[in-house]
Amino acid sequence: MLSIFLNHQWKDFWRSRNKAGSIAAQILLGFFMLYFLAIAIVAGFGMAFFIGKAFPGQNVITVFNGFILYYSLFDLAVRTQMQELPTLSIVPYLHLNIPKKTIVNFLNIKSLFSFFNLLPLFIFIPFSVIKIGGTFGALTSLMYVLSIISLVIFNNYLVLYFKRKSINSFAYFIAIIGLVAALAALDYYQIISVRNASNFIFVTIAKYPFLALIFTLAAVLIFVINSKYLRENLYTEELSTKDEKKVSTDYAFLNRFGRVGELAALELKLILRHKRSRGSIFMGLAFLAYGFIFYKAPMIAKDEFGKMLFAAVFMTGISIISYGQFMFAWQSTHFDGLLVNKIDFKNFIKAKFLLFTISCTIITILASFYGFMSYKLLLLHLAAYLYNIGFATVIVLYFATLNYKRLDITKSASFNWQGVGATQWILGLPFILIPILIYVPFGIMNKPYYGLAAIALFGLITLLMRNFWINLLVKRFEKQRYKIAEGFRE
Amino acid sequence: MLTFKQLKKTYGGRTVVDINNLNIREGETIGLVGNNGAGKTTLFRMLLDLIRPDSGEVLSKDQNVSENDHWKDYTASYLDEGFLIDYLTPEEYFTFIGSLHNLSVAHVADYLKQYEEFFNGEILNRGKYIRDFSKGNQNKIGIAAALMQKPELLVLDEPFANLDPTTQIRLKSLIKSLKSTHRLTTLISSHDLNHVTDVCDRIILLEKGLVIKDFHTDENSLKELEAYFSE
Repeated sequence: MLSIFLNHQWKDFWRSRNKAGSIAAQILLGFFMLYFLAIAIVAGFGMAFFIGKAFPGQNVITVFNGFILYYSLFDLAVRTQMQELPTLSIVPYLHLNIPKKTIVNFLNIKSLFSFFNLLPLFIFIPFSVIKIGGTFGALTSLMYVLSIISLVIFNNYLVLYFKRKSINSFAYFIAIIGLVAALAALDYYQIISVRNASNFIFVTIAKYPFLALIFTLAAVLIFVINSKYLRENLYTEELSTKDEKKVSTDYAFLNRFGRVGELAALELKLILRHKRSRGSIFMGLAFLAYGFIFYKAPMIAKDEFGKMLFAAVFMTGISIISYGQFMFAWQSTHFDGLLVNKIDFKNFIKAKFLLFTISCTIITILASFYGFMSYKLLLLHLAAYLYNIGFATVIVLYFATLNYKRLDITKSASFNWQGVGATQWILGLPFILIPILIYVPFGIMNKPYYGLAAIALFGLITLLMRNFWINLLVKRFEKQRYKIAEGFRE
Repeated sequence: MLTFKQLKKTYGGRTVVDINNLNIREGETIGLVGNNGAGKTTLFRMLLDLIRPDSGEVLSKDQNVSENDHWKDYTASYLDEGFLIDYLTPEEYFTFIGSLHNLSVAHVADYLKQYEEFFNGEILNRGKYIRDFSKGNQNKIGIAAALMQKPELLVLDEPFANLDPTTQIRLKSLIKSLKSTHRLTTLISSHDLNHVTDVCDRIILLEKGLVIKDFHTDENSLKELEAYFSE
């Protein structure tokens, strides 16, 4: 029976509806997965080497031990947001003559086929076998592997259990991320050390290998709890997210913009009430950390803004690019309704500009904490901000009139390639190249501040030309709307 | 009120709509009948400027619908769920549609009171988004939102499908009464010949995009239609 289920799932995967059009996207997704796997394998086999580099002078095994629980906690946090509940797929089987137990088993096994379960195995097992095995012997090595597999399984079913019990995975996510951050901070200020705790646990396991069975026991326990819960609540209604009472809301601050504000409020509701758009907001916030990767003290000292421009434009404009790339398709399910109703297309376009401007402003203000690194970054952000609200918005909305792909916004955003077409790929190019091209001549002449001023000026001028852009976009929209509407109906 | 002139639409070499000349006068209730693929919905979409005709034009009050938006001032329509903004609560949706016609929140609430019977207590204050309603109730929301706009021209695509019997009867009497009180012009498509002959005073029968029959209803209409479709 189970093999039949798995066979059906396999077919479901390969025959899924939005598949045919997006083979390229699937291949790309495959590459990403392979990339992560490759990193994991390299990290796994090179663990001893990397630890030696990153923490010189410390005992490699101690560092490794300290890392395990951290990873596990972080993994838990990421899973709460990204791991999907395998539920809906069982609907066609529930009314058939199949014992509940079989269905529950199927759900449990299916959940194991997840990328999150594969990754840690590649990261941790090589080191456990090579180094730990080499130092403490085969039994300890085996128990290390067992603990890691147990931790993975524990996380897997714990997250599923949480998700089944509650609606709001986002709150859990914030809570767990908060917990991880708090623990990291406590660790940093040497108040409570997770690393020491983790190290202590695994040192103990090295001494008494069979203690690792405690992890296994915990994994089995959560598995049993989860299965029991599933068996008792095997109703799709109860397994999928529960309905809370929905209330009507009104965004008073948008009312001052009249008709345009009304349309913007409508879209704000769209963003907040769908999984995929909420996901993009979250990603936007996550990208605020981009600067920590790209902004380096020597670059700032030498005023090399060209190298940091990409990060600045991307970070402050993340709402424009991540939301704007699917523009109009967010409304694909009711696009006909928008066209038929008495909505002035000019207001429609203006509402988009309004939303972009507000969100971009908020993100830029949030990103101003980089000012603590250097005031120069604030200038950089200001230039990027002006470019984004001035011209990036126009690029995005222009490309939106070429986007005919219906978008399913009820599914989560992570690793979701539905609705991705050529426009999304091309869109990024002008978005990022224009500010760089403006800057480059000044960079070559070694006049970095003039370069920033030029970008800012360009942004300001295009911002002042907004009415011109609006008219242009409205004309374009009027011409393209039949095609867009037709594409969205499919 | 409406004129369709040499209206043509083909998809992949197949003619979906091909109407030479068709006039609809003010106050008429038109029933559009025909099997699947007859071109009813495509015709409606061209009338509402959602599809560009390959040739010909649709004139509403003598103005081409694809050239300006004046027709939106007096036209209300509900073709399918694609017209509903499904992530809003019904109240939010009604308020939004009302605001497009300069109705205040209080006006909308007041208006909705008349439809309490029509809604049968299933639509308002249910704490659900439109997407979580059944198809029949979504239909009701769409129709009520269309009527709320106090249109002179009403376009409904298969309004009786998915509705429960009580609501079907209520909808019929609603259309009849609006016709006499507001001289409402209505275009309805339906597969239910009983309803169409009951509520409409003129029937247009389409097949493969062509107008096959166009007549005013009398007591023999139903039999005539049944005879045609059972051939």
